[in-house]
Amino acid sequence: MNEAGTAVSRRRFLTTAAAAGAAASLSAGTRRASAQPKATISYWNGLTGADGKVMDELIDQFTRETGIRVEQQRIQWADLYAKLQVSVPAGEGPDLALIHTVEVPHFASDGILEPIDDAAATGKGFRAEDYLPTTWQGGIYQGKRYAIPLDVPQHILYMNVKVMRDAGLVGPDGKPKVPGSRDELLAMAKQLAKGDTFGFAIGTVNPGKYTWGFQNLLWQNGANVYAADLKRCALAEPAAVEAAEFFGAIHAQHKVAPPANASCRDAFIAGKLGLWIAGSWNFTGLRDAKVDFAVAPVPRLFKQPIVWSMPHQYTFPTRKVMDAAKREAVWAHLRWMTDHVAEWTLKAGQVSALRKAHSDPRITGDPVLRTLLAQAPNWQGGQPVPKWVAAENLTRPVIETVYIGQKPARAAMEDLARQINAMPD
Amino acid sequence: MRPPTKPAPRRRRRGALTPYLFLVPGLLLFAVFRVYPLLDGLRLSFTSARLGRAQYAWVGLANYERLLEDTRFHVSLWNTAFYTVASTLPILAIPLVLAVALNRGIALKTFLRSAFFFPFTLSVVTVGLTWLWLLDPVVGPFNYYLKALGLPVRSWLADPATAMWAIILTTVWWVAGYYLVIYLAGLQDIPRELYEAAAIDGAGGWRSFWSITLPLLRPVLLFVFVTHIIGSFQIFGQVFVLTQGGPGDATRTVVQHLYETAFQNFFHFGSASAMAWVLFAVILGFSALQFRLLRGHTEY
Repeated sequence: MNEAGTAVSRRRFLTTAAAAGAAASLSAGTRRASAQPKATISYWNGLTGADGKVMDELIDQFTRETGIRVEQQRIQWADLYAKLQVSVPAGEGPDLALIHTVEVPHFASDGILEPIDDAAATGKGFRAEDYLPTTWQGGIYQGKRYAIPLDVPQHILYMNVKVMRDAGLVGPDGKPKVPGSRDELLAMAKQLAKGDTFGFAIGTVNPGKYTWGFQNLLWQNGANVYAADLKRCALAEPAAVEAAEFFGAIHAQHKVAPPANASCRDAFIAGKLGLWIAGSWNFTGLRDAKVDFAVAPVPRLFKQPIVWSMPHQYTFPTRKVMDAAKREAVWAHLRWMTDHVAEWTLKAGQVSALRKAHSDPRITGDPVLRTLLAQAPNWQGGQPVPKWVAAENLTRPVIETVYIGQKPARAAMEDLARQINAMPD
Repeated sequence: MRPPTKPAPRRRRRGALTPYLFLVPGLLLFAVFRVYPLLDGLRLSFTSARLGRAQYAWVGLANYERLLEDTRFHVSLWNTAFYTVASTLPILAIPLVLAVALNRGIALKTFLRSAFFFPFTLSVVTVGLTWLWLLDPVVGPFNYYLKALGLPVRSWLADPATAMWAIILTTVWWVAGYYLVIYLAGLQDIPRELYEAAAIDGAGGWRSFWSITLPLLRPVLLFVFVTHIIGSFQIFGQVFVLTQGGPGDATRTVVQHLYETAFQNFFHFGSASAMAWVLFAVILGFSALQFRLLRGHTEY
């Protein structure tokens, strides 16, 4: 190889390298431009269970497909609501928040949530006819829309197959027997409760103060927290007292339910609980833990087979300065989640508020999701009262005193009604 | 030789100002983050301030009057007082016993000191969750081993008779190491000669403890006593994680009631501020009493 040849080759090499470098930097620049996020939105939610991981996966996919980044803050629901109440008036709220339906009235009346113009929602493709009516209505307070529903967390009856088999409570086909009434449930629970195994429980953790379970019993008995005028507390009415008596009797009198502060979920997984009314959000976790379980609709224990439900709602916290690009990005996220809601249902176990996902064969083919969907006619949610959540907080310690047998149901309910009626505005 | 000159008055003034200049940053932070919130809290306690509402009115003493009728506030005051009294002896005595033992030069002294101190490095939530699991009535190891030993089991945190004691046990486990280290520092300050002289005079271990250790530890005891009482009146974290005030209101404390009033139930900053000021007055009263009772007899 001669010197000249080497020089040419070197020059050619350098030229080629420079050209390649320029081309590479150009293409990298183009790549960066295309990958550059369109907007970043902040999104607060309380999905602290297994459903949070599913939400993360879906949001990652959403960002990959749209370029819109979503910064999530995941906080326990109770803390999330306190944080919203503090942050939004200070102008530090998020662009999007997922909340429970019962939170809508008080946040709306305090100006924490922005009303959503019906025309704007329709324009973005969110129409009443696409949703289950109770979920769509749940987003309305005093005639104005404040929320778009996502899904319907609800109760269901879980049955631990091994525990029930050991107690002889399975049919010839090996499937657990399903209680059809209060008496039947109590008889089965007594048969199941042996040693350190409990027969029946309501609630995931802390069954003694599980207000949502208590509400389910109330509603089944035709009672409610507030009277029809939504002003006076109705918890001292005979129907409410009867529901409270049953709530307390399962532990304090019949001794079939776990202690007030037990983790019913852990007990069920450990094979120490037979019949368990709990949230639909538990079933994917039970599958992951490889628990042999079956499900059935929440049994009718009183007058009507009501199933407690509490839809999650997307809301727009009030902003001091509206950023149109962010708002568009939020709508894009809601649209995307709506289009992918079947994935959310399948992976997170939460039945969609949208009707269209209900006919997805992957959902109808799942026995648990099928059972949850079949409960839809019996769903009931909280009353549209701004003080609902505060009343619920007052209810918690009072029903616990009934659960542990410290206070008779009637006296406790009368005391609770007095406290709720005395709540300041 | 020239006589030393007196510093000029201006230089003297500047010299006198210097320490205050050093204090300014700290005082500023103290004023902004302590004094201002304290006084603003006092102002809010006379108003109907509610989180999320811009408008509020002056209500005079109405928030304080409401506290007189708030039975749950009375229960939480009683529970806080019970916790404070019941936890004081174990918190004062257990670390002291451990510190005296460790001060005698027993084997594994350094390891044991670290082991006892370790829980204090954990956050209250970690401690709470750990004990929540340990005391779980169904799957917790505490009941499991009690049952294995043939002893009766119960729902420690769900029984009004035992829930507060379980919280006290958790707190003692958590903070004993911290007070142990403080006691140890105090014990190491006591001159050895005093014990030697006492031994020559025929004093035994018990006599030396009563006549030398305890009197000379009085400043440390006062510190531990006062900080523990102040901390006890403000107890919140352990209760919040372990029982949320339950069962019923059996372990509800003042700070928890205050927190729920301000941030969970009603967002009523006015009422919550009034509670905070009542608590402040109680703590101030107790602290003053403690100093009065113990300070005069302290031997330095």
